[in-house]
Amino acid sequence: MNPPPLLVLRGLEYRYSDKILALRDLNLNIERGRKLALLGSNGSGKTTLLLHLNGTFRPTGGAILLDGQPAGYEHRSLNDWRRRVGLVLQEPDDQLFAATVAQDVSFGPLNLGLGEAETRTRVQEALEALRIAALAERATHSLSFGQKKRVAIAGILAMRPELLVLDEPTAGLDAHGVTHLLNALQRLHEAGTTLVFSTHDTELAYAWADQVAILHEGTVLGQGETTAMLEDRELLTQARLKPPLLLELAQALETRRDDRNPLPRSREMLLALLRERLCGTVPLAPDR
Amino acid sequence: MRAIDHHAWSNRWRDWHPAEKLIPAGGLLILTLVLPPLSSGPLILAAMAWATVFGAGVPARALLHVLAAPAAFLLLSAPFLAISISFTDGFHWQWSPQGWRLALETITRALAAVSCLAFLTLTTPLTDLITLSRRLGIPAGLVELILLVYRLIFVFAERAMTGQQAQAARLGYARMDRSVRSLGWLAGTLFQRALHQARRMEIGLAARAYNGELRVLGSERALSWPRLSIGIVGVGLIGLNGAWLAHTLP
Repeated sequence: MNPPPLLVLRGLEYRYSDKILALRDLNLNIERGRKLALLGSNGSGKTTLLLHLNGTFRPTGGAILLDGQPAGYEHRSLNDWRRRVGLVLQEPDDQLFAATVAQDVSFGPLNLGLGEAETRTRVQEALEALRIAALAERATHSLSFGQKKRVAIAGILAMRPELLVLDEPTAGLDAHGVTHLLNALQRLHEAGTTLVFSTHDTELAYAWADQVAILHEGTVLGQGETTAMLEDRELLTQARLKPPLLLELAQALETRRDDRNPLPRSREMLLALLRERLCGTVPLAPDR
Repeated sequence: MRAIDHHAWSNRWRDWHPAEKLIPAGGLLILTLVLPPLSSGPLILAAMAWATVFGAGVPARALLHVLAAPAAFLLLSAPFLAISISFTDGFHWQWSPQGWRLALETITRALAAVSCLAFLTLTTPLTDLITLSRRLGIPAGLVELILLVYRLIFVFAERAMTGQQAQAARLGYARMDRSVRSLGWLAGTLFQRALHQARRMEIGLAARAYNGELRVLGSERALSWPRLSIGIVGVGLIGLNGAWLAHTLP
């Protein structure tokens, strides 16, 4: 029998104090080793949902299972939960409080009760994972937005979570910042970290996630493999999302789909496909 | 504020152990308070200005900028110290010689003291001072408060600036009455934002297993005994010199 998924949300309901229903009958499975995108338009409940994944918000109905066991909300269980599930907020200034980068990243490991030597190792490791070791002694407030974002992620990584949850990780980043961040996340994923991120960007989800859950008005309309979910026009329209351009182009080209000819998932793959269609050949190298 | 912080992070003595700067600055500050100011004050002012500008390489303009505000304040208030008032036969006032001396002493002493603080803030990043104060046994709650205020000043200064620019773009500061109103709105918005920010920061910290104590690693700086000794000897020489001058001058 397979081990239970890392996190299971079953019939989740969340009501704000003023009786507004933010999440209703929401079901979600987060399996180990996945890259799951929570896709939804503005106000669909993405952030509220993410705040349930590490126990910040307590659902007013339904259940959250951590490793198949109902998650507990007393101090001890919460600490253990947050060690295993790291949450990175959208706005790095909400998360960074210390005056230098290294100090800020050391906060999480010290809270886990680790010693000074182990904490230093963790800080170094987290900074290197995001390629920002050179920033260690810089003042937090002197960093650019992209750098702050990476520091915020490093602060969570230093706690070595099994699941890394990111709220709109690419929001506000320029193209270089996005590439840098996605490369770093890819390395983490290959090292065994499960990733969950929220976004309204179907292009990003299509290029990068291996599973997608579509959120609309506080509930998950569907969860499944990325391509299958994003090909479902009806579902996307209902969730007020646009299908990714890459996918639409590939569909327009009537790509045959088998293991040898997968749907293009990146710009480069699509360009190769276009060349093949237009010139009848597949160039081995880009034109000079 | 930003300028001070910039120099604190970029001067030549930035990487020195904070105690190497705190002890001389603190020592001279004590000397300004105990020695007669007219003889030792200028000496201390000169020593601190020299250390800031020629030692740490902070531009003289930056130092003057920091000293300007307290100096202006002192110059404005000094004349009132030089006046003697009597109510014995109606209301009379006159310049008094002791008053002038008192005013001069106050100005010299205050400027010398401010120069010690200016040296410290312009050469030492606040983070170093925070680490040091933690080690000196200042209560954790107070240190955390300083840390958060230091961090959030920059967050709010940025918000205030963009808010002000956005208002100005819609002519919020075109007339005097509009300016007053815009400023009021800005303050109100910032207050609300501060509350939201506090709530979100609580969530962010909780995600990192915050348990009521903001513990971070201190930066590792080796204390240089030669530098510290030079500092202490320097303070001693200035102290002896000041005392000798006070003894010989009238």
